Amino acid sequence: MAGISWHYVFKFIITGDAAVGKSSLLIRLTDQRFLANPDPTLGVEFGSKLVTIPEENKVVKLQCWDTAGTESFRSITRSYYRGAAGCLLVYDVTSRKSFLNTRTWLADVRQHADPHLTCILVGNKIDLCQDEPETDQTGSAKSKRQVSVEEAELYAKEEGLLFVESSAKSGLNVERAFEQAARDILDKIHRGAFDDDQSPGVKLSKPATGNTPSNNLSLDASRSRPACCNS
Amino acid sequence: MEFLSQTYVALRGPTGAPQTATETVGRLSDRLQPATLLADRRAAVLALKGLSRDCKEDVGTLALPGLLQVLYNDAEVDPDIGKAVLETLDVLCEVEDQKELGFKHTDAVLVTEQPVHSLFALLAESNFYTRFGSLQLLSTLLHNRRQVVQSYFLTAPAGPASVTSSLEDKREIVRNEAISMVQLLVSQSADIQKVLAFEGAFEKLFNIIRGEGGVEGGAVAHEALLCVDGLLRFNSSNQSYFRETGLPPLLPSSLLFPPNLPPDASAPQEFALQFWDEQKLINAKSVVAIIGLLVGSKGYGGQDSPVFARCLIEIALASNAPTTLKTQALHLLPANLNFPLSELIITPYMPVPETNGEEWDRLEAASALDALIELGLNGEYNGMDSARRFVSGLELRTAAVGVFENFVRKEEIKYAITSAMVSSEGNEPTNLPPAPLLQALSMSPETSGPLDHVLVSSTHFASLLFSHLLRSSPRCKNLARSIKPLTASNQPPSDGGNFFVPADGPAPPAAPPPVPVDDEDDDPQTLIQVLAENLSLAFLSRSRTNTSDLESREWDRLIVGYLTLLSQWLWEDPAAVRDFLNSGGLGILVEPINQVSETDFLISSLCVFLLGIMYEYNREPGEITRATISPILNRLGVDTLLGRMSRLREDDRFKNVSPETLVQHYPGSAPHTQALLPEGEVWFDWAFVDFWKSNYYTIQRGLSTDPNQLASASGPSAETAMLIASLQDTLRNQSQEIEDLRRQLQAQQKTPSNEDEISALKSQVSSLRLALQASEEKQKETEKEQEDLLVLLEEVTAKRKRDKKRMLDRGLEVSEDEAEGDDDGGED
Repeated sequence: MAGISWHYVFKFIITGDAAVGKSSLLIRLTDQRFLANPDPTLGVEFGSKLVTIPEENKVVKLQCWDTAGTESFRSITRSYYRGAAGCLLVYDVTSRKSFLNTRTWLADVRQHADPHLTCILVGNKIDLCQDEPETDQTGSAKSKRQVSVEEAELYAKEEGLLFVESSAKSGLNVERAFEQAARDILDKIHRGAFDDDQSPGVKLSKPATGNTPSNNLSLDASRSRPACCNS
Repeated sequence: MEFLSQTYVALRGPTGAPQTATETVGRLSDRLQPATLLADRRAAVLALKGLSRDCKEDVGTLALPGLLQVLYNDAEVDPDIGKAVLETLDVLCEVEDQKELGFKHTDAVLVTEQPVHSLFALLAESNFYTRFGSLQLLSTLLHNRRQVVQSYFLTAPAGPASVTSSLEDKREIVRNEAISMVQLLVSQSADIQKVLAFEGAFEKLFNIIRGEGGVEGGAVAHEALLCVDGLLRFNSSNQSYFRETGLPPLLPSSLLFPPNLPPDASAPQEFALQFWDEQKLINAKSVVAIIGLLVGSKGYGGQDSPVFARCLIEIALASNAPTTLKTQALHLLPANLNFPLSELIITPYMPVPETNGEEWDRLEAASALDALIELGLNGEYNGMDSARRFVSGLELRTAAVGVFENFVRKEEIKYAITSAMVSSEGNEPTNLPPAPLLQALSMSPETSGPLDHVLVSSTHFASLLFSHLLRSSPRCKNLARSIKPLTASNQPPSDGGNFFVPADGPAPPAAPPPVPVDDEDDDPQTLIQVLAENLSLAFLSRSRTNTSDLESREWDRLIVGYLTLLSQWLWEDPAAVRDFLNSGGLGILVEPINQVSETDFLISSLCVFLLGIMYEYNREPGEITRATISPILNRLGVDTLLGRMSRLREDDRFKNVSPETLVQHYPGSAPHTQALLPEGEVWFDWAFVDFWKSNYYTIQRGLSTDPNQLASASGPSAETAMLIASLQDTLRNQSQEIEDLRRQLQAQQKTPSNEDEISALKSQVSSLRLALQASEEKQKETEKEQEDLLVLLEEVTAKRKRDKKRMLDRGLEVSEDEAEGDDDGGED
């Protein structure tokens, strides 16, 4: 039990079309392994991971809710948007359709989520087009890639999203995607966007004020006080 | 009320003619139309509310659509009308007095999702009555048609957030209503459980629990704990989230068990000794249930797990917690418990007599395993209460036996415990950990005085514990045959407490009473001999004429303990069969089979079963062979035996045993019983029932098998033989295959040895080259020789020419052929 301490808890949601690799990204993040043949997610699944942001010298606990991409669960997964601080909007670089659908997903997220939510666009499955040249100007007919880096980058810029391409299979950029989003949220915190615990998606490790003064049962306080007293 | 009277006046009209209720309701319903003024609508709703109890049906059929409209449009704007409409709808949907009608109205409300969505939206209102009324109505709807409401909830825009925020309401009544609504809402819906967890329901609930004072809190704390339980049970995603939240340590700490207690530190006294009342017990049970859920959940390798398991163990073995809580804690320890019971040192407590549970003695520290065995053998607090066979106490003991069974499931642990019982002579057996078990098992029954049922229970429980060690473990059975218990024939009955000694009390008076080894026997008896002797003693005493019914029932129980242990021991162990036969086992069994009462077949049936096992597995050479037993079987009548054996099934004491229920009610409650605490007794454990049922058929067939026919022809032994044969076959095939492969390998090594060939060829080439050189040289030599010869010939010819010339000169005849030479010469 000792040793677990963190400065912040961020709630993340992972969303995007079915079968773009959302669950695999989460398993890669939490278990450092590749989920070869995942079953479609039903509703939502939970996973968590501690991430250190070295520049800030902060430990952040990422609580990630991996949502179902299937349409039938849409109403359930929407319930999770509101409480999230970060969102991974995932598409499959070998599926143009999944990329186009990110617009719908983004609109959904924008509609339900906190306005300060940090969203990162993640192009997954780049291991499938690893053999082509990195720049991909030629756009050769044999290429499996259906969404170019430039196009996605442009889209991300227009919409004010962060962007990264990753592979849950090789592990490339998976942790980076989460870290980048976490860094952005930390920035927002410094700028005061998440003041006084308004967003349910961000929590300081110390117990919220107004909790019982006689917290003989509370362990959160004693556990993380040493870590956060300097902040 | 004034609205009500106004409305009535208005409706009654000037004539004052009497109206039927239906007409009134109809008019009131018309007034609910949005066109009328808000105040009018409010008055109408209030009037309808007044009528809704007495004219439920009319209000429901006529006014429901209008009421729902009011709910959608007005409730948010006007708290009064909101309160009224919510209460009216609640009355209409209630199923308490008119069930059919309530369900009908519920269904009508739930036709679309809009009403439910409105209710969750109203939950966000801060007005007391709006919030409270919505919660009540939601509870009613959930109670009637849970699944429909649940599916609407998942599509409600702000549902989860408003639900969790109502859990935070400062007004207790609202909050408590929210707790009970959430309980219904999350029931059997993993999706809702997850959404609420995401919305921070755990934190909110634990805040409530904390605010109420944890386990010391009242019913509200209990309800909140039930909510937490509902969110976690059967939901692995929520379980893993819950572990992340940092909340789990609150569970043991709410029982005052420090969650960061190092494994070698002892539990604090304020945990072990607490004041318990009924409500606290209920709350603590919910906490223990959640802890058990977390410990038992699959794949939980979290670092909390050992602490949680230890918390459960400490509650059960070293605390003054109520008996039922201890039983629950033991039951919740997972079957695959991976906990070093023998390494955990605990400090048990004993109530000081006559202090009404207010003073406690601290006992000597002992390993948890010892304490567990002790608990099984003697009961709580060293059998303080076992003189009265309370069901709760027996349940605790059987739970302890169950934990022991799970603990020794691993072969190496079984073996270690059994081998610790095999003491070499110099070893003081009482120092060995399982000594109390052995002592209780080998304790010989009191034949002189009346039988003490406490001792019977100890021996009986010892036989249960011991059979868990031996069952289906040939190694342990083998080892157990060499156990030689000290014959503790005169063990003081009530003072079996040489195990538990008050640590702070005076020096233990002769703590382990040195048991004198019987002088008559030079050799201490083996355990099987002791058991055989005790069994025959028990049979003797049972058949005494002057024993009362109740007492002979106790003898029966003792005998059942011996017989079940022996059956499981002798099964598939010919050596043990021989030992038992040599101890006179055959005679002991045949007697009770012969004299059977018309009503009670229990003992004789078990005797036949054991006899069958002995016949089946009598394979080692000895005095009594299968051929010796067979005539006895025939004289008793094989069919009679089979019939008698099968009647065990009919006995309630056997029939009623299930994996969960071992303790059965004691017949004819004895006069001295306190009415509240039922009495019980234990006859069989599930393991034996299972064993009997799976092997009954083999024994049945074995009993009717000819003695000369090898026993291995029947049952599992035949299977074993076949298995061995098939394995041998496989082995042979495989070794053949290996041989073949090896040969192939060798052959292959030969043929493709290109390198060899090349080198051979090379050497051949070089040797050939050498030969060539030699022959060339030879040829040169020959050529030279030839040349020499030619030169010589030349010389000779020249000489001859000269000679011929000389001859011609001298006029000598020259042969013709030499003319040529002349010619030649001429030419020259």
